[in-house]
Amino acid sequence: MSVPPATAPPGTPTAEGRRSEPVVEAVDVEVAYGPVRALDGATLAVHDGEWVAVAGPSGSGKSTLLQLFAALDQPTAGEIRFRGEDLTRRRHLDHYRRNDIGLVFQLHNLLPHLDARRNVEIAMFGTHRTRSARRRDAEDLLSRVRLEEQADRKPPEMSGGERQRVAIARALANRPTVLLADEPTGSLDPESVANVVDVFRRLHRSEGLTIVMVTHDADVASAADRVVTLEKGRIAVPS
Amino acid sequence: MTFIGLVVHNLTTRRFRTALTAVAVAISVTAVVTLDVVTRSLQSSAAAVLSLGHADFIVAQTAVADVLTSSVTQDQVSRIAATTGVKSAVGVLVSAIHLNATNPLFIQIGVDPRELPAFGVHVVAGHAYSVHASHQIMLGWEAAQNLHKHVGSTLKIGTITYDVVGIYTINQTFGDTAAMFPLVTLQANTRKPGTVTLAAVKVARGASVQAVENRIERDNPDLAAVRLATQFGRVDRNLEFLDAAQHGAEIIALIIGVIVVMNTMLLSFVERIREFGVLRAVGWSRARLLSLVMGEALVISLLGAAAGVGLSFAVTTALERFSSLRGVLAAQFSTSVFWTALYTAIAIGVLAALYPSARAAVLRPGVALRRE
Repeated sequence: MSVPPATAPPGTPTAEGRRSEPVVEAVDVEVAYGPVRALDGATLAVHDGEWVAVAGPSGSGKSTLLQLFAALDQPTAGEIRFRGEDLTRRRHLDHYRRNDIGLVFQLHNLLPHLDARRNVEIAMFGTHRTRSARRRDAEDLLSRVRLEEQADRKPPEMSGGERQRVAIARALANRPTVLLADEPTGSLDPESVANVVDVFRRLHRSEGLTIVMVTHDADVASAADRVVTLEKGRIAVPS
Repeated sequence: MTFIGLVVHNLTTRRFRTALTAVAVAISVTAVVTLDVVTRSLQSSAAAVLSLGHADFIVAQTAVADVLTSSVTQDQVSRIAATTGVKSAVGVLVSAIHLNATNPLFIQIGVDPRELPAFGVHVVAGHAYSVHASHQIMLGWEAAQNLHKHVGSTLKIGTITYDVVGIYTINQTFGDTAAMFPLVTLQANTRKPGTVTLAAVKVARGASVQAVENRIERDNPDLAAVRLATQFGRVDRNLEFLDAAQHGAEIIALIIGVIVVMNTMLLSFVERIREFGVLRAVGWSRARLLSLVMGEALVISLLGAAAGVGLSFAVTTALERFSSLRGVLAAQFSTSVFWTALYTAIAIGVLAALYPSARAAVLRPGVALRRE
């Protein structure tokens, strides 16, 4: 399995001298839970091959923004665009979730009764791959996150860092354009944090994967090309 | 891993819940199948009278509660015998009596000895009773075997002791497990002089059975001609009531099954909300998620169907040993029983899974993932 290289470094001007069209983009989005505004007019564009870290204090709307990019929730107002198309107007988002993005959660969200390989394979249902192709691709992905020896182990038998790397392998199962990660190192020990960041760095540098990563850890955020800070539901400090 | 493999894996991972749900399905299937088998068996026992005398059809009083209470006068039998197209019409009195604990429903058949050949009776030992003998009977060979009687023995029925003068066969279980009396003797014993229960009619060669039946019913409006077990309700309303009671009980068993299984599945759904959220988040469509839950329900249904048939077999075998049902209930597990079990189990599984699977399918992944 191969991930296509990025077509251009982040923010590279096109031949016409304009910056390339964003891959994913939040345009003036609002999310309200009753009287509480989790996002209040946030705007963020992420370009091909870019690694963006979204930082900010607890409750600033970081995870909410990422959930909108992942089409897990709908904004109250504003637009979420993928390659210019407004996702809020799409009726079915399964294809987008399956093929265009890969999602890594803070608490890995692996299925505890399935071993690592099957946890990766489960994301490949509906992609017309044969059973043997799914198995081969899952093993290949696990080797890319250096877990080839752990393929038959179930999440409860693995360390936090290993589980998170299985979750990354699952997120890459369908060769996504964008990897979305919500506090991927939030519940890990320092060694596991370093391992996970290393995996992200390799995916970004060698394969040109676009990454949007929510983190409250400044060290982890510093590995990204660009750090944006959310405060009270708005982008406060675009770098 | 295949999709079916995932379905099976999910069920084997939650063995206890799977077993519990399958047991709930199995209990409903057992109820439905047992009721079905018992009812069919009782119907077939009751309808066995149809094949008495190897007639083309029988004629009995219409719309009576029980065919054994049917009353046909011997004059009517004579008229039937004289109907165009009828070869022979034998008037037969049939009644049941409590002989002893092992024979709670002993069948007595009254036939004039001159009509025994026309009725298809073959005397295999001894001789036939005489027309007016008040203490002579013949036993069917199976009855003789069960009662350990032979020619020359005596048999006390009610308050009267009879001499067994012959052993006969009629090549039909209903008749061969009975005792045969001179018609006038049984009429006297049962206080039904001049009447019989039914007439066993044979049609002349070349005549249309249906046309003869129609002719007899037209000439005798209070009588009905019955050829098939499915028509038996015309002369035995009890069977119709039994049928209705069976369907009612089956529907109740089905509803209870659906409620119990749905309850278990809803509990499972609540436990698995986060799992469903993850599957939706990694791109599973609503239809795929629905298929997963339905697939699991179907596999559980198949397990329940298999267990239900086994349980039903055990229950009916136990019922057959009840003294009050001995000789009346002879359960037969035909292919249709297995289909009934399968349909019932699938109906329960699918109906019970509809609501939980629909809820799983319409879950918003973001909401599901936030659920603790």
